[in-house]
Amino acid sequence: MEAFSGDAFNVPDSTDWLGTPLACLMQVEQAFRCHVCKDFYSSPMITSCNHTFCSICIRRCLSVDGKCPLCRASDQESKLRGNWALREAVDAFVQSRDVVLQFAKTPIENATPRSPKRKATDLDEEREEQPENKRLRMTTRSSKAKAVEATAAIMREEVDVAESEETADYEPELDDGLVACPICWSRMKPWQVDRHLDTSCPGSPQPQNASSSTAKTRGGSSFGAARTPFQNPPTPTKPPERLPALAYSMLKDTALRKKMAELGLSTSGSRQMLEKRHQEWVTIWNANCDSARPKKRSELLHDLEVWERTMGTRAPTMSRSANLGAQIKDKDFDGAAWAAKHDMSFKDLIAKARNSKNKVHRKGDEVAKSKEGSSAPESGQSDGDGAGNASPALALPKATVVDLTAVPPSSQPEPADSPAQTGQELTQTRHLENGPPYLLQVENIANHSLSGEAERTRS
Amino acid sequence: MSTQFAAKRLSKELSKISSSLPPGIELVSADNFEEWLLDIRVLDNNPLYQNQTYRLKFRFGSSYPIEPPEVVFVKLPDRPIPMHPHIYSNGIICLDLLGQQGWSPVQNVESVCMSLQSMLTGNSKNERPPGDEEFVRGNRLRPKDIEFYYHDNDV
Repeated sequence: MEAFSGDAFNVPDSTDWLGTPLACLMQVEQAFRCHVCKDFYSSPMITSCNHTFCSICIRRCLSVDGKCPLCRASDQESKLRGNWALREAVDAFVQSRDVVLQFAKTPIENATPRSPKRKATDLDEEREEQPENKRLRMTTRSSKAKAVEATAAIMREEVDVAESEETADYEPELDDGLVACPICWSRMKPWQVDRHLDTSCPGSPQPQNASSSTAKTRGGSSFGAARTPFQNPPTPTKPPERLPALAYSMLKDTALRKKMAELGLSTSGSRQMLEKRHQEWVTIWNANCDSARPKKRSELLHDLEVWERTMGTRAPTMSRSANLGAQIKDKDFDGAAWAAKHDMSFKDLIAKARNSKNKVHRKGDEVAKSKEGSSAPESGQSDGDGAGNASPALALPKATVVDLTAVPPSSQPEPADSPAQTGQELTQTRHLENGPPYLLQVENIANHSLSGEAERTRS
Repeated sequence: MSTQFAAKRLSKELSKISSSLPPGIELVSADNFEEWLLDIRVLDNNPLYQNQTYRLKFRFGSSYPIEPPEVVFVKLPDRPIPMHPHIYSNGIICLDLLGQQGWSPVQNVESVCMSLQSMLTGNSKNERPPGDEEFVRGNRLRPKDIEFYYHDNDV
């Protein structure tokens, strides 16, 4: 997976095989890819309905709607089982893929049969041109790939089958950043070669043991040196335990916070944010438990942070209202949806504000009258904010202030051109410090609520 | 904004789409992982849609493919909105596949396009959904916030 995270537009895909003599491998590759993420299966899990997905993909899907994405049968995370055979098959395919693809794309003249030894050095050169190449072991290539490769060899260079089969045991290409000593074949860093030749080279090819992962080593042993093999995992003192899903609706805020603190997760943000964060943590944690090469806890925490950042809902460590404000100011904020959702409360607020405004008017008149009667006009002023007697309309009760000033268009927090907004949104919201978002322009309110009701009955 | 998950998935879809698409579907633009435009045509001889091309706009949220994309027809001088009892004249499509309930993460841009193609192919009614005018005039909601009631199982 990590090998494919580079350029977003240069993505390895099953169609890479089209146009090569190995076009039939497209189907093979497709069978190795998850239907949800379209990537190679990573920790494939099998569902009760016998479908297979990446652990993280199926866990995400199930946490959203509890159904298999392929057949819509209900399923539970706890019923997932690892599909280990497929995991090995996929890993083997992924590792041979680059080399096989390279081979398939190589023009004929380069593909002449070579002696095993020469081939090893040639491959070394090739490897330098293609740094993302993965380590390969020939013996674990799928038999189909091997067969196809052999066929291709026949097609291209018309060598006889026997020979191509014999050469099929040539050295696997290694991509460990090391080079082989030309004399004894031990592998070492490039800068060490000269010194090695001068001092420690035994002068003849040496049988290489697994740990030195030489070009001669084959199968699981060399494979296991750097990448953790399936057979013997990397000495986990004890396998990490899966986290149970929580019934969030049954948990009080404090209980949830406590649980998250125990897990070492941030407890900042709104309740909704806490739930989402916990859910995501459970998902990535459990998916990691399924992995043949589990990541460290710190890496997972980093993943969680990246997730939170890219979701655009990163919870600030402030109050809930401030968090709400951050959401509204976010450039992804869906102003239209917000306006529609809170239509009723806006209307209520407006009605209240009108009421209290009228009251204040009346009160103001009374105050003015009483002030006229009294000899000390300034003494009746309780606010002291200077808005006082000159314009009673501004002295609204604080709880129901409605700011009717227009917002500058730049602060209008809605996505560029959604189809539903072609009619131009007139309702805008803006967050003011320490309070709920206020309605700034109130026209067309009636239209909004009508449309909402109308839609429900349509279609 | 899309998460790594969404971007990765979309980049895979894009590389596939740009190399091969089924007949009648064409990629118009996909400059980012938020909005793609595609053209679709109906291939058989349905007189309602003959010799016409329709422009589709896909918008992807950060939770794609767990959540469905927003898919609408776009009206342009040479790209009309197809006549269909489940397609409003402002391009909004009433199709359960595109709703929270009917969507599945195994669906993709290509499969949505093909579903729409076949939805058009199978239609013989030259009409808009009931209440189209009123809906088009009054609607301010995004398609994903509209609560459609899916009643027609023959589509």
